[in-house]
Amino acid sequence: MSFLPTILNGLMVGGLYGLFGLGLAFAFGIMRIVNIAHGEFIVLGAYIGASLLSVTHLPLPAVIVLVAVITFALGWALQTVMLNRMIGPNPVPAMVATMGLSIIIRNALVEYYGADIRAIDIGPLQDQGVSIFGTSIGVLPIIIFLIAVLLFVLMHILLTRTTLGRAFRAAADDFEILETLGFNRKRVYAIAMGLAVTLSAIAGLLLAIRSSYSPYSGVERLLISFEVVIIGGIGSLRGSFLAGLFLGVVQLIGLRINPNSGPLFGHLAFFLILLAKQANLPALFIRRRA
Amino acid sequence: MTLLELEHVDVFYRDLQATFDVSLTVDEGETVAIIGANGAGKSTLLRAMIGLTQCRNGRIRLAGEDVTRLRCDLLARRGVALVPEGRRLFSSLTVEENLLLAMARARKGPWTLQRVYDLFPAMKEFRSHRASDLSGGQQQMVAISRALLTNPRVLLCDELSLGLAPKVISEIYACFDGIRKEGVSIVLVEQDTVRARSASDRLYCLLKGKVRLAAKSSTVTPEAIREAYFGETRT
Ligand SMILES: Nc1ncnc2c1ncn2[C@@H]1O[C@H](COP(=O)(O)OP(=O)(O)OP(=O)(O)O)[C@@H](O)[C@H]1O
Ligand SMILES: [Mg+2]
Repeated sequence: MSFLPTILNGLMVGGLYGLFGLGLAFAFGIMRIVNIAHGEFIVLGAYIGASLLSVTHLPLPAVIVLVAVITFALGWALQTVMLNRMIGPNPVPAMVATMGLSIIIRNALVEYYGADIRAIDIGPLQDQGVSIFGTSIGVLPIIIFLIAVLLFVLMHILLTRTTLGRAFRAAADDFEILETLGFNRKRVYAIAMGLAVTLSAIAGLLLAIRSSYSPYSGVERLLISFEVVIIGGIGSLRGSFLAGLFLGVVQLIGLRINPNSGPLFGHLAFFLILLAKQANLPALFIRRRA
Repeated sequence: MTLLELEHVDVFYRDLQATFDVSLTVDEGETVAIIGANGAGKSTLLRAMIGLTQCRNGRIRLAGEDVTRLRCDLLARRGVALVPEGRRLFSSLTVEENLLLAMARARKGPWTLQRVYDLFPAMKEFRSHRASDLSGGQQQMVAISRALLTNPRVLLCDELSLGLAPKVISEIYACFDGIRKEGVSIVLVEQDTVRARSASDRLYCLLKGKVRLAAKSSTVTPEAIREAYFGETRT
């Protein structure tokens, strides 16, 4: 019994977990916003993608692009309409507001789609496999993993090579000084939130192709996002990516050992890492500068 | 011609009033010093000039236009730049990234990367270092360059000498002649009255948020400055 396919599947899922964490860390690092509705946006990505696939019959890449555009607009609107009015040294108002939003989105999904558990079916590609090292690996997991890697690479290029990316990093350091250089803080924030939601929603859509989801999956996804951020750190793309891979692999190996364990092993591993790091959790939520 | 004009400006931090009825003017190409003791309200005044803190009462005019309620980023794009107290470089960015960011929304004007490297040749050597790894003097060069690269009409400098060795302070101040040649106005906040006086055309002395003295730097006496600075007549 070989663990190789399990590990490879774990890496695939983990790449997506990394994106979940990246989205959460992005909003927190730049704006000090803890977006409790993060998990719901991940699930929303899956529902929007599934609807587009079944209604328009567009190919998957086109649907991914459409979901990206739609969720970017949602993130932008969230920041512009709601969160930009709450920026300040106290992170709690935005947390409460996004918590309320998460309940609204969850119930809207139940209302509109029903509460049943579903999975996205994209046809023949789903079952295609290639043989690597004598074991058969699905083509789809490889493609999904490569998309995750591509998104991380694009984010890296954005953050290090473009004015917008530098403005994001600068806003995390000292937003007042960024304003004195002529940047509109609220606009920078709106774009950042748009991107954070987009990354997570695309990952949510891709995950829904491989595993099931329901309107209530958001909480679980949010938990995973937090774990990725805490293991991988806030300002580090590589940290998020590796933490996601780690959690994904641990979770799938756990599932292989005990099919009823669900995400238990991932959470256990996270807990052990917390103990090992003796993480100072409250420090994560204290603003560096008012 | 008057470039920047404050009329009866009161700035509050919540209920705490930091400046009282401050009026001052800065002419085109002029260097004006604002001196005063700790907590006199110097930084507060600069924050009001660039829109980081809104003033509750009074008017602020830039080149005749009322900019009292203008947001900071819009004021910046109309030609106000700040070298903040304590430098405040973007610490996770490299020196050059700090500078590139300043150029991204800059006005048209004489200042380019090449020009600021000419102004501070030493900066070329640490251009790829992280801003957090620099010494105080090096940081100050980057902070001044960053502000200049926005091509301001008025450059606000808050305590350039803070925490720097005297030799380094002199080097920093030596570059001001080169900056003034481009016709930019400069507002110089300092605690060091001697340096402020020698580097400026006119000076204002603040005491507990009020203008206590406004004078030409070349003719004002050290006694008058001392009296305004400490708020008491020496016996
Ligand atoms: N963010 C703030 N919130 C509340 N009060 C403030 C704030 N910043 C400054 N103050 C108060 O406003 C007054 C003026 O402060 P300001 O920083 O302008 O003085 P300053 O002349 O720049 O002093 P220093 O020489 O120490 O830099 C002080 O009484 C200070 O305590
Ligand atoms: Mg000050």
